[in-house]
Amino acid sequence: MWAYLNNLAVLITINAILAVTLNFVLGYAGIFSMAHAAFFGIGAYTAALVAIKLGGGFLLATAAGMSVAGLLSLALALPALRVRGEYFVAASLGLQMLALTLFSEWKAVTGGIGGITNIPPARFPGFEISSPPQYLVLSLVCLALVMWGVSRLVNSSFGRSLKAIRDDETAASAAGKNVAVVKTMAVVVSSALAAVAGSLYAFFLSFINVESFTLDTSVYLMAMVIIGGTATLWGPVVGTVLILLLPAVLSFLPGLPQTEVGSIQQIVYGLAMVLLMIYRPGGLWAAKSKAGA
Amino acid sequence: MGREVKGRRVSESPNILLETRGLAITFGGLKAVDGVSLALREGIITTLVGPNGAGKTTLFNLITGQLEPDAGDVCWLGRSIKGQPHWKIAQAGIGRTFQDLKLFNQMTVLENALTVTERRSWLWQSGGRAAAAERLARAESALEQVGLADHRHTRAIDLAYAERKFLSIARILSAGARLWLLDEPASGLDPRSYERFIKLLRDQVGRGITICIIEHNLDIVKGISDRIAFLDQGRLLAEGDPQSILSDPALASIYFGERA
Repeated sequence: MWAYLNNLAVLITINAILAVTLNFVLGYAGIFSMAHAAFFGIGAYTAALVAIKLGGGFLLATAAGMSVAGLLSLALALPALRVRGEYFVAASLGLQMLALTLFSEWKAVTGGIGGITNIPPARFPGFEISSPPQYLVLSLVCLALVMWGVSRLVNSSFGRSLKAIRDDETAASAAGKNVAVVKTMAVVVSSALAAVAGSLYAFFLSFINVESFTLDTSVYLMAMVIIGGTATLWGPVVGTVLILLLPAVLSFLPGLPQTEVGSIQQIVYGLAMVLLMIYRPGGLWAAKSKAGA
Repeated sequence: MGREVKGRRVSESPNILLETRGLAITFGGLKAVDGVSLALREGIITTLVGPNGAGKTTLFNLITGQLEPDAGDVCWLGRSIKGQPHWKIAQAGIGRTFQDLKLFNQMTVLENALTVTERRSWLWQSGGRAAAAERLARAESALEQVGLADHRHTRAIDLAYAERKFLSIARILSAGARLWLLDEPASGLDPRSYERFIKLLRDQVGRGITICIIEHNLDIVKGISDRIAFLDQGRLLAEGDPQSILSDPALASIYFGERA
């Protein structure tokens, strides 16, 4: 039981990192990226390869994952952000599919469908992390750092530029904001930070394959952010906890036929979304709007 | 709406801040702006008047680089700025407001004024704490001048209508724009806010700001214009001092829709 809870807690923390970093572009910049799971995957594969092939520790592997994810996100951001809204959604969707194909087909590097196994424990200078409770501490530290960094950025001049662009792109550029550059930077930062979650994930499970980085993951992450509350610090964390706890809670509820848990889960998700849109359109954690609209 | 025009001298300043030369753009066969050559002189208020669809807002969009002209040129301080991106033209000192205001609605009043002072697109601004303090002071001072200092932590969307208009002015004031292009800034203002608004514009002109206003209300036009430019169907029909433009019967008949 403890092992199960520990495992769940680590996964929640890792997903919370993803939700917080997705919220950085979705909530603060109004950029709807469907490719967040792809950058999560790029971070995971890069970290795994660095650990296995180069014998790199956690810090090196994570830094490498962040760099690769950040650089590759440029390939998405540079062309796609010159156009508005919907096109970015389409372009990021394309990138997500492309990444998925790469993860499953580029067998020499990603191990294909079978993925990468035997990823060594996370090594730090002087010690090594291998037990689940240690991973929980490590991932909580990473989450705290990511949240600290994101909240610093959001409350800085850069954050204000993002929010200005989100609120009115035309007015922002009429006010001297180089919209394309600001948005590109936001995507790079968000993607690089998503790679931190990827690295944690790879070390924690010591095994990764393409299944964790599909479009479904991107959609779930988006749901976590929207349910929890966009453009808030804690909203994405709350959303992550709820979405990941729901299946766990349902499977422990007495009287529910285990074979039906999957479809009940979908019904509950759907119902929650609809109720939320009606009663708390800004998400659970959103500040109550004073004057409405 | 009678108001005094405090014996100000409307001098023919020789300094042309911004000049359009033969500016033209066509939207699907419609000549929205058709060969407009207009000079905006420093330190005065020029009003753009004309019936709906005359091309006034489109002219603003062409000047600020939001639209690219099919023909003609825009010169700022004697240099062509045609083809430069919107944001660069804004940073060069041309500020504008919009008919629908386009405030940063979810941001506070102070954030609205502050963000326009932060020009770098990078993750941080240059100049460290001293520069940050200077930018904050500039934003606070802009809010002070438009009378919104007490609302600094209110979200823009929660402001009353007149306050929203003043915030749109605070934004270009804080940005340090030398030329203000104001798109119907006085429409919908109650008389008291209106008086305060006109005084604000006069104060700013007194400090060397150059203003170009799109305005429909002829009482307002009479009250604030140093020069008037009359547009119709994309063309600049006349430009001159308020007296001569407003007393021209031909222009009046166009303005009031008595076109043959």
